[in-house]
Amino acid sequence: MEIIRAERVYYNYYNRFPALIDVSLEINKGEKFAIIGSNGSGKSTLLQILTGLLFPSQGRIFFHSYELSEKSLREKDFLGFFREKVGFVFQDSDIQLFCPTVLDELLFGPLQLGLEKQEALERANEIMQMLKIENLRDRPSYMLSGGEKKRVAIGSVLTMNPEVLLLDEPTSGLDPKTQVFLLELILALNEAGKTIVISTHDLSLVDELQSRVTVLSEEHRVEKTGSADEILKDEDLLLRVNLIHEHVHYHGQTAHKHIHSHYLFHRH
Amino acid sequence: MKNDIPSFLLDTTSSPSPKRGRGRISASYIDKGIGSFAGVLKEGYAQWELASKKGFLHEFDTRIKVVLWLFFIVVISLKKEILPELGIFFAIFVLSSLSRVNLINFYRKVFLLGFLFGFLIALPSALNVITHGRVLVPIITLSKSYDFWVYHIPEVIGFTREGISVVAMLTLRVLNSLSVSFLILYTTPFPEIIKALKVLKVPDTFLIIISLAYKYIFIFARIVTDMYLAKKSRLVGAVNGAEARDWVAGRIAFLFKKTQLKCDDVFKAMIGRGFSGEIKLYRYRKITGKDWSIGFFLFVVELLFLWS
Repeated sequence: MEIIRAERVYYNYYNRFPALIDVSLEINKGEKFAIIGSNGSGKSTLLQILTGLLFPSQGRIFFHSYELSEKSLREKDFLGFFREKVGFVFQDSDIQLFCPTVLDELLFGPLQLGLEKQEALERANEIMQMLKIENLRDRPSYMLSGGEKKRVAIGSVLTMNPEVLLLDEPTSGLDPKTQVFLLELILALNEAGKTIVISTHDLSLVDELQSRVTVLSEEHRVEKTGSADEILKDEDLLLRVNLIHEHVHYHGQTAHKHIHSHYLFHRH
Repeated sequence: MKNDIPSFLLDTTSSPSPKRGRGRISASYIDKGIGSFAGVLKEGYAQWELASKKGFLHEFDTRIKVVLWLFFIVVISLKKEILPELGIFFAIFVLSSLSRVNLINFYRKVFLLGFLFGFLIALPSALNVITHGRVLVPIITLSKSYDFWVYHIPEVIGFTREGISVVAMLTLRVLNSLSVSFLILYTTPFPEIIKALKVLKVPDTFLIIISLAYKYIFIFARIVTDMYLAKKSRLVGAVNGAEARDWVAGRIAFLFKKTQLKCDDVFKAMIGRGFSGEIKLYRYRKITGKDWSIGFFLFVVELLFLWS
């Protein structure tokens, strides 16, 4: 069952620089979906459009067959319905955390939804336990490490129990342990029935998630949509969109020239 | 991990469909304020793009442009007659057209600011209460005139001929100053203008501070816009005034802290690249014969206006 649909979406920054050109895609309920592309291809813009934070210059976005627009998101009832169901985790956790303490961050969403304080507190405690951040409960966000901030940012969205979780470059800038933790979390949430949408240029993450994938080109268009296997095996496509590159590299005295991606093709 | 998922996250009960078209949320002052920040970014990009195009003044050396601009401002301020001011207005129009500036966009800005800061501010001085003379446009007729301390309020209050000419003069000066300044901005990338201030003997340290401040405006505007989007993504209704003020206060504190950290980082980066207290900006390309000739021609035009 389709949950999000983008129809021929265009977006320009400052009415000048194109970020998305004629982008169409469908995301089904309960699936894992990855939007991949090189830097500046428009991944983050597309995610922000799918979450109703930006609005396309042309084209339409649907959520559960309701059209997302500036006008529809000014309707109180629809805004509540949409924000409850769609959670967005920004790449930069710093900008997402705006409450005095970690606990306040986790409570913000459920209280917005009109939950009783007790229930909101229970949710916050359960999420802190799951994300192993109970010890951070009373800390302000500026006293957290990068990995901790990311956990709190995800937690702040999860306490709203969204149906769809969109994560912008979720593993970027995190240490390997936190990356593995996040990956396991994403898989567990998906198994719990959540629809997961991520944007990334980390091909190993796509490989691990085994999600359906849409590839954005450097020209800001959808280059191809397919299964993770299908996309990751298409070296020509990955070369074309600049996600892998040819690389000269030495083993002792011998130089090798081969296609290079730090995660997929570089395992010796 | 799978077993740690809280039970409420497993609850997939679908919430009732929204009732459409009810309870509209109007844009808050934060929405509007953030819109202005986005405008700052847009303007910055627009300025850079416009100034990087090819045109008569675009290719002209920035140092000469800055000196001539200052001289032009002095000439505009010294003129006391309407006709030469009109001449200057026409000359700037010709220069703008030669430089292929978008005239509609250009003059829309000039006239709007000129109207606000020239005409509206100067208008009260055209009243006979301030500038004495023959009343051309009467506004109020009182039963008699009044004298209060050193002030005299005449029986008929209105705009005088002399007053109107003062207002016209002031408005023209503002319009001319604005159009010559905008013309420089439209034909020169801002970083070039800052560097060109070197010819006015502005110390390099000040120039680097201005450059950093200008750059930070963009970083700042982007952070503010992103922070707002992050909040918006977790909002399910309208924000009341008190909550909005709390958020703004919290974010100001956050930005202050972030700015301090960025300042430290920039300083470390400068030290890492050899900064030892003295700033040396790279030298400009040589001023060509073409630059000197155009500069001389414009200088003569400005002198003619000064003497006319």
